[in-house]
Amino acid sequence: MKTSRLASALLLAYGIAILAFLYLPLVSVGLASVSKARYLSFPIRRYNTDWYGEALASDTVRDLLWISLKVAGIVTASSMVIGFLGALAFARYSWRFRKPFQKLILLPIFFPQTVLGLALLMWFNALGIVPSWKTAIVAHLVWIAPIATLIVSIRAFSFDPALEEAARDMGATQWQVLREVTIPLLMPGVVSAGLFAFLLSWGNFPLSLFTTGADSTLPEWLFAKMISGYSPLVPTVGVLTVAGSAILVAAGLILAWALKRLRPTT
Amino acid sequence: MSDPSPILRISALTKTFDDFTALHGIDLDVAEGEFLAIVGPSGSGKTTLIRLLVGMDDPTEGAIWLRDQRIDVIPANKRPTCMVFQSLALFPHRTVGQNIEFPLKLRGVAAKARKERALELLDLLRLPRDYYSKRIQQCSGGEKQRVALARALAFDPEILFFDEPLSALDYRLRKTLEKELKDLHRRTGKTFIYITHSLEEAMVMSDRIAIMRAGRFEQIAPAEEIYARPVSPFVAEFMGEVNFLSLAGGAVAGAELSPAAQAALAGQSGTLVIRPESLRLAPEAAGLILTGTVAAEYLLGSRVQYRIDSPAGELTVEVLREDAVAGVGAPVSLGCDISAVHVIAEAEDAAA
Repeated sequence: MKTSRLASALLLAYGIAILAFLYLPLVSVGLASVSKARYLSFPIRRYNTDWYGEALASDTVRDLLWISLKVAGIVTASSMVIGFLGALAFARYSWRFRKPFQKLILLPIFFPQTVLGLALLMWFNALGIVPSWKTAIVAHLVWIAPIATLIVSIRAFSFDPALEEAARDMGATQWQVLREVTIPLLMPGVVSAGLFAFLLSWGNFPLSLFTTGADSTLPEWLFAKMISGYSPLVPTVGVLTVAGSAILVAAGLILAWALKRLRPTT
Repeated sequence: MSDPSPILRISALTKTFDDFTALHGIDLDVAEGEFLAIVGPSGSGKTTLIRLLVGMDDPTEGAIWLRDQRIDVIPANKRPTCMVFQSLALFPHRTVGQNIEFPLKLRGVAAKARKERALELLDLLRLPRDYYSKRIQQCSGGEKQRVALARALAFDPEILFFDEPLSALDYRLRKTLEKELKDLHRRTGKTFIYITHSLEEAMVMSDRIAIMRAGRFEQIAPAEEIYARPVSPFVAEFMGEVNFLSLAGGAVAGAELSPAAQAALAGQSGTLVIRPESLRLAPEAAGLILTGTVAAEYLLGSRVQYRIDSPAGELTVEVLREDAVAGVGAPVSLGCDISAVHVIAEAEDAAA
């Protein structure tokens, strides 16, 4: 069936309207960051980029970036390992408690993050652990590792079990099967799980708020400054935060593309 | 088997899953260089059997011998056999060459020797040598099949197992590959054990056919013998269209017998097996004589098939097109040479 010219024009306009609705707020943050005025007001009369210089020179911002990066980095690496192993248990191997495992692993995702954060904080207190960025890593993992597991599981489900059996039949040991077949085939899933893990940790506010203690991540700081002490430094750091995720996503996509291109010829 | 030293011997092999017995203590000898097809409907135990043979499952009881070596106690990766999977199980993240070389790489063969062998196998399977660096996704269904065969042959296994590798292909390609597989068997001289639910496939390719039913071998024999002398109605039916008539004390209900036929069947009871092409539509019927009316007529290319209602039950008859008779509703008389009739004696019937 052929849609009429009018219908497709309307559809296009509708699509653009939705995108504008979703993304204009982000653009406004970008605009606010280049405003010279102390308070956010439109239209912006004078532009400058001084706040970027200030942000990059600021020790506070550097600390924030470093803490957020440490937390997100460790969460990403751990999620990739946990997600890989979890997906094998979730989607590939049959074992006694597989069904309960498949259900239990979803539980943290269904918990509102604020409740999860509070519960973890109480738990850390009960154990006598002082909250810091390290406890935040644990908190993030409780929520993000299941998501990573599900992402790798999608890949694992689409994987023909005969591939592993064939490798074994041709003489591969368990370890060789893992190295030559299972890991390379699940790799794209593990990479996307890593990307998601980074983005979810990097932008996470509720879990960090409860569990970082005296330390502060970028989203926490943005919120605190919004409540009191707003300056264009806030949208500036916001834009830098987005830039951080954008760089990572781009790097991830390039990596995935390179893996796909290079593998068969190596 | 009369062969004194079979390459593969299965003895009293049993496999049970919880409360279900998939294999009931089966025995089988396979001769070196033989092409054996194991045929059966789904659920007959053929897949369970092949999984035990390659070592992906352990038997509950019994033993599997490869020449003088007991192999059911050896893990799958140490057995000198290889299987071609139903899904082919080609590694999508590797090239054609890397797939073929995989078993050699596992055995520590040097890169140069591996490549030489891979190219040799491409030649053997009649694939162009430049396929070596192609990706699996770039191969057609038939080409993938050949790559899988090349990979299975790479480490020179003693026996090649096939788990219905042609079942996913379209009819024409399947026919071509059946012939190629038979040809490959002849050229390599290897022992092939081929599992299929398609009897047609088994008949085209194999030296012997083992028919499985409910975890047991019903009959193991060359195709012609199974076709002409099935041991049970199950086998007879599995081998294509067939007519069954009941025989009691030398008499066939609804049929007349010529003196010669009477003598041949005297005193016997059981089931008469008559292939549709053994029945003739002729006014001067002899041997086993039946009458009836044509209920339906089907054109099968060079042959015509009739369904005939007769006092002995519904009969299927197949004749050459030039021997075709009057159409639906016409009364006909049928005859069958007593030599074309096979009797499944009552005792055997009951055992099946």
